[in-house]
Amino acid sequence: MKKNILILILTLFAITTSFGQKVEFEEYDLSNGLHVILHQDNSAPVVTTSVMYHVGAKDENPERTGFAHFFEHLLFEGTKNIKKGEWFKIVSSNGGKNNANTTDDRTYYYEVFPSNNLQLGLWMESERMLHPVINQGGVDTQNEVVKEEKRLRVDNQPYGNFLANVKKNLFFKHPYKWTTIGKMKHLDDATLAEFLAFNKKFYVPNNATLVVAGDIDINKTKKMVQDYFATIPRGKDIVRTVITEDPITKQINAKAYDANIQIPAVINAYRVPSMKTRDARVLDMISSYLSGGKSSVLYKKMVDQKKMALQVGAIGLNQEDYGMYITFGLPQGKTTLADLTKGIDEEIVKIQTNLISENDYQKLQNQFENRFVNANASVEGIANSLARYNVLYGDTNLINTEINIYRSITREEIREVAKKYLNPNQKLVLEYLPKKK
Amino acid sequence: MKVKLIAFIALITLSFSATAQIDRSIQPTPGPAPKVKLGKVKKFTLKNGLQVIMVENHKLPRVSANLTIDNPPYSEGNKTGLSNMMGSLLGRGTNHITKDEFNEKVDFLGANVFFHSTGASARSLKKYFPEILGLMADGVKNSQFTQEEFDKEVKVTLDGIKSGEKSVTNIARRVEDALIYGKNHPYGEFTTKETVGNITLQDVKNNFNRYYKPNNAYLVIVGDINPKKTKKLVKSLFKDWKKGTIPASNIAKPTNVTTTEIDFINMPNAVQSEILVANNINLKLGDKDYYAALLANAILGGGGTARLFMNLREDKGYTYGSYSSVRQSRHAATFRATASVRNIVTDSSVVEIQKEINKIRYQKVTADELKNAKAKYVGDFVMEVQKPATAARYALNIARFNLPSDFYENYLANINAVTIDDVQNAAIKYFKGDKARVIITGKGIDVLKNLEQTVDYKINYFDTFGNPTTKPKMSMPIPAGVTAKSVVDAYFKAIGGKDKVLKVKTLLMKSTTKVQGMDLSLEIKSAAPNKQAVIVSMMGNTMSKQVFDGEKGYSEGQGRHIDLKGKELEEAKKKSTLFSDTSYATGTLKRIEPINGKNAYVIVSGDTEVFYDMASGLKVKTITTTKAGGKEVKSPSSFEDYKEVNGIKFPHTIKRKMGPMNLVFKIQEIKINEGVSDKDFQ
Repeated sequence: MKKNILILILTLFAITTSFGQKVEFEEYDLSNGLHVILHQDNSAPVVTTSVMYHVGAKDENPERTGFAHFFEHLLFEGTKNIKKGEWFKIVSSNGGKNNANTTDDRTYYYEVFPSNNLQLGLWMESERMLHPVINQGGVDTQNEVVKEEKRLRVDNQPYGNFLANVKKNLFFKHPYKWTTIGKMKHLDDATLAEFLAFNKKFYVPNNATLVVAGDIDINKTKKMVQDYFATIPRGKDIVRTVITEDPITKQINAKAYDANIQIPAVINAYRVPSMKTRDARVLDMISSYLSGGKSSVLYKKMVDQKKMALQVGAIGLNQEDYGMYITFGLPQGKTTLADLTKGIDEEIVKIQTNLISENDYQKLQNQFENRFVNANASVEGIANSLARYNVLYGDTNLINTEINIYRSITREEIREVAKKYLNPNQKLVLEYLPKKK
Repeated sequence: MKVKLIAFIALITLSFSATAQIDRSIQPTPGPAPKVKLGKVKKFTLKNGLQVIMVENHKLPRVSANLTIDNPPYSEGNKTGLSNMMGSLLGRGTNHITKDEFNEKVDFLGANVFFHSTGASARSLKKYFPEILGLMADGVKNSQFTQEEFDKEVKVTLDGIKSGEKSVTNIARRVEDALIYGKNHPYGEFTTKETVGNITLQDVKNNFNRYYKPNNAYLVIVGDINPKKTKKLVKSLFKDWKKGTIPASNIAKPTNVTTTEIDFINMPNAVQSEILVANNINLKLGDKDYYAALLANAILGGGGTARLFMNLREDKGYTYGSYSSVRQSRHAATFRATASVRNIVTDSSVVEIQKEINKIRYQKVTADELKNAKAKYVGDFVMEVQKPATAARYALNIARFNLPSDFYENYLANINAVTIDDVQNAAIKYFKGDKARVIITGKGIDVLKNLEQTVDYKINYFDTFGNPTTKPKMSMPIPAGVTAKSVVDAYFKAIGGKDKVLKVKTLLMKSTTKVQGMDLSLEIKSAAPNKQAVIVSMMGNTMSKQVFDGEKGYSEGQGRHIDLKGKELEEAKKKSTLFSDTSYATGTLKRIEPINGKNAYVIVSGDTEVFYDMASGLKVKTITTTKAGGKEVKSPSSFEDYKEVNGIKFPHTIKRKMGPMNLVFKIQEIKINEGVSDKDFQ
């Protein structure tokens, strides 16, 4: 995306992995800055066309949270050549499916068609990039729809607000402090002019990556991409400033209440570095060690043997600027939340003090190898990974090489990373409690 | 040199194509349809009855195995939850291996093995598959059940039940099935504290020995295999799985209601209503009108282009999604239409869903709709059919449903043969708008009043266990001593005190809003005791004007001048006071009702309901009911963002719903005792 070259630059990568399943791809930039990635797989007559825009909830005005996701809804309302209400119809009447999703870091749109409709998929995405129709009517309808989405996914769901509370208490300056779905009042206050400005700023070819994957002919595809996308005007360069948080040096205690639950939960959360770092990958391995499978230390001890927890887990929520490393437990019977935290912390201290066993280390390597093989099982999934590695990591070929990073992580590193990030004075302890009537 | 030349030519061609213009106003047409090839399967049957289906695919070095035990469903009665418990206790140790060793082995190989009451599954990298399938087979044949694990599972099950008791969706699904199938039907019964308490370890062992058998079982293996070797492996692992005698099952046929009714389940914590319109049907895979039923459903509610979605979401914004489904089954099939909607539009959503169901029954679908629905099926089929797992699933369906072996070869032809009349006949037959249960799980206090007014159906009430009950209390008791007058007094106090309010002689309020993208401004001038002028303008041009001088008035707009008369004049006299709240003090305090999660006092005064927040005292909402064309129209306004002007609090955001439009008025300016003269009311 940074190169500004008139004609295509063709980059072929040569990587060796121990599996015969390397994902082959070509990537290049159009002159307007649009990054294009092509992946050919003719084993089934299906093609995925997708565009990832490097814009998400973290790019929002603090008074307009939820804007990026809301905007995603608006971009199905029609374009200059696709009438309102026609988008979904065109897709399904041509035998395809489509959707989109938004995270804090990026927004992703895709269509999957039988491969004879490749041109249609490209046309639709180029229409959306060139001249979407954004008007008050669409804003009004989607405002209600998004509110329903929040009620459905968050407010009516047990434990639905836990992430919002973790974010609020782990981030103080960085936009990760608010949720992707945002505040409904902010959406009510948003004006049409703001939506148009957002489109102009972020929905430009130089902030997007187009992926075409599946049953394609590379040369014909390149021509079609050129035809549909090359004339879309380049936008202004986007300046990104990463907001840095001060380190957490004292344990943060917080409480939250939920009317939809009867069993409380305790969440211990740590702010950890960007998913692009090696340390984030080490933390991934620590999650697996703690709670991946029935033989993992937390499950075995807390759920199975001591019967303290109904559920226990460790997950790394990896994001572009920072990650959140979260352990959680739901108590069984009369166990207190404090005892749960203690039980989980004991295992973290063990990782910080002793090396994990050779056997456990080999187990982790086997699990990550398995994960790697399964990660590239579907063409749709490959398209998404190619886009993600390009847009958020800046290295498309990680789709093939990221496994090497995991392979090279040592037992000593696991101990050091646990020591560096997972200390009591660096964490949030959130008690998530049933709301009394 | 040659290479360079080719590159040069390529460059020329490319730059040429770059300048060639395409006409993007024309939607591209599809190329020639891709060829559909069904995946190949290999099958064999063991002596014990286990049928094995294999699909060879070498794309990735991995293999999966899925075991399905296809016994007819049976009722568990007062021990409901028994088979589930048996299923979750499988694989916790066998006579060859302890539970911990088992889990360690599976995890060490980075693999997964799962067991459940009607089967098991295993997946791993190719190199570990023989070992993993061996572990699965051991669990299937030789699982041991101990008192310790049983007691643990009972505790977990009880906590699990507890954890779902406040989940609106959880309760909704449970009671929906209980009502549709009946509480004694295997699909309608559900696990409770009591039924768990009735289950013993011996019951679990008996259940395993009776039902977890190869008689009706299918093992599907997909992935990077050598079929010959895999066949050998499966034989060696499963040939000693002993056949049993599966007890006969006699289940009652679920029945439909004779006229459509509403079944309401009250959940005070709900922020959305779960709406389900459902009826039982007879439909199984391969029936003659199966394809017509699929297409009728696709048009009604099959996805993001279907009528339910387009109406309830894209047009009305009631829901994140509304869908319908025909769930074919050999034992108890259903038709369902669903939506999760915000409380306040529950009644309207029921009306719209019923409208769509009736429409597809009584009016033929258009040729275009049918064509698009078919195209969607064809596309889905093309995209699915070459996945190895799909080939396996199709082979499994053919075996389970006794279908002809060319069933899926003919699938597309059968879909394409469906006519418009077929669709209507299927809709009439399967979507029983007049004999349906409309099951609503939601917050009674927010939902029921409108529901009773809007819908003609009888409303039955059920508790969260599906037992009949009485209508929930519709309001909270009004505390002793609180009256309309005291509520209005509290309001005046909250906005700054009655003495300050009394000093207001004139009021000027300017606000703006947007209508279909255009800026509109609204200026209201009022003077004591009851003079008022309302001017609406757009880009400096007056669009309409309403004036009332305390005795008489008129409205002007689009070149017309109409004097106020009769009832309108009476209303104007009453409502043109500076603070209309003064007159609400003589209204009736009706009830306490929550608005956006906060309780409010509701005063009824004439045709208006006024809501005062209990905590802050501020006015938060009014609903005015007018009659137009014989229909009642409710116009709600909400008041937000209170800010002080000369010591008196005024709302600075006023939201008004006018017909289909939601208008948000932002106050730009408020002036007290200046800027208004008697001239303004002439």
